[in-house]
Amino acid sequence: MAAAAIHQFAECITCHAWSPDHSMIAFCPNNNEVHIYKFFTDKWEKLHVLSKHDQIVSGIDWSRSSNKIVTVSHDRNSYVWTQEGHDWVPTLVILKLNRAALCVQWSPKENKFAVGSGAKSVCICYYEQDNNWWISKVVRKKHESSVTSVAWHPNNILLATTSTDGKCRVLSTFIKGVDTRGSHASTSTDWKFGEQIAQLDLSSMWAFGVRWSPSGKTLAYAGHNSMIYFIDDVETSPAAQNLALRDLPLRDILFLSERTVIGVGFDCNPMIFSADETGLWSFVRYLDERKVTTSTSRASQLSEAFGKLYGQSKQVASSDTVEPSKPRGGVHENCITCIVPLRKGNDSIVKRFSTSGLDGKIVVWDAENHIDIKK
Amino acid sequence: MANTLRLYLTCIRNTLEAAMCLQNFPCQEVERHNKPEVELKTSPELLLNPVLICRNEAEKCLIETSINSIRISMKVKQADELENILAKKFLRFLSMRAEAFQVLRRKPVQGYDISFLITNYHCEDMHKHKLIDFIVQFMEDIDKEISELKLSVNTRGRLVATEFLKQFI
Repeated sequence: MAAAAIHQFAECITCHAWSPDHSMIAFCPNNNEVHIYKFFTDKWEKLHVLSKHDQIVSGIDWSRSSNKIVTVSHDRNSYVWTQEGHDWVPTLVILKLNRAALCVQWSPKENKFAVGSGAKSVCICYYEQDNNWWISKVVRKKHESSVTSVAWHPNNILLATTSTDGKCRVLSTFIKGVDTRGSHASTSTDWKFGEQIAQLDLSSMWAFGVRWSPSGKTLAYAGHNSMIYFIDDVETSPAAQNLALRDLPLRDILFLSERTVIGVGFDCNPMIFSADETGLWSFVRYLDERKVTTSTSRASQLSEAFGKLYGQSKQVASSDTVEPSKPRGGVHENCITCIVPLRKGNDSIVKRFSTSGLDGKIVVWDAENHIDIKK
Repeated sequence: MANTLRLYLTCIRNTLEAAMCLQNFPCQEVERHNKPEVELKTSPELLLNPVLICRNEAEKCLIETSINSIRISMKVKQADELENILAKKFLRFLSMRAEAFQVLRRKPVQGYDISFLITNYHCEDMHKHKLIDFIVQFMEDIDKEISELKLSVNTRGRLVATEFLKQFI
């Protein structure tokens, strides 16, 4: 089995994040709290409960180098939690939003974070040393609907967002004083804050789970019409590919390498996608392979037909009853909503990742031994 | 005749499997609220196309889907006036006990006999496939129940008429 560890922490988990050394995990059990568990010799113990939010916490991100946790909630607020001694101390970030915040992500350099919201806008928050607080700047160009996910480009400037109007936008988030322009002299154009670099209209349905590839060359996101979209060279000349899935839609995406993607969603099973040498993406298989007993179902259909032919002994009412749908039988029993890489050091390839879902499980998957990761 | 019911219910089951992909979504119009978007219909981009599944002209199922809620409305078979009255009374009896069902709507949608409202909270608390099983089983049982009620009323009517006419022997 590809699942390395399965933990049942709560009845329902909305989002989760790992500490930099992967010894602690922070998740929201579908209420206004954030629970932090730590793994001791043989079991997990609850260390902290961060309870400053009033409503459901919808996004958690744990920075890797500065060890800060940022949380956003449906109560329009965001807190940055800093560890002081044994406790976690919150700092309120005034987001200037009048609707719920839906997602949050630290930038690659972790000097700012992006918040997507139901106010149809994106906030970029950064720390101001002089006043000792976090400043929030709202991107002026509005989206047409709620922003469902945000993703940072590796250059710390570009931000990709998806929205429930089905569009994916790439924005510049250059902030004077936080970002230095000299280090990005390679980009010939100088982008201003909030400038829209690209708008992708591939999906006619709500879009979720936008991600950049490790080098920033490929952008991928999922549509609720059971599609996944791959776009190469977004800034210069975008080239898009669509992949139609056979089953239910996806909610989140993770790049394991430049050419391997994991998608999770309502099927309760991670899907593997990969690109060949020419850059053509295709679906490989499900990660948690199920034993589909096609032969028994065919045999049951045959015996059912025989039963209808010599039907005196059989009861008609029982054979005409619609069979109840079987449970899916995978590791997760409900929709998977969150996928987080467990990156080790400076590896460019993700070898392990974790998923959490509405069934309250957090599953750590071993990608190295079960997936042929293309570099 | 029984086979068309099976195909009808299988089609509804498959449609519900695809339509019941719900998630938590706070309201875009009112701050700090979380409302079923299929009832509000304030943001048209959050609604999907309604699906109408018909077994015949008199028997149909309407499935309306949004990002965080789904509404399922049924019109049951009513062959004559007696079944009309029985269905109306029985389904009103059920609708007045909507709290016990949790997913039953208190008032049916206009033009339909009974409606269910399933939100993302129901999908979080209960198994999704068991919710679908419940609705399909409900539709199957409602037909049987009304047929049994009709037989019972006819039997009782015949018994009462027999007792009444005995005085003239």
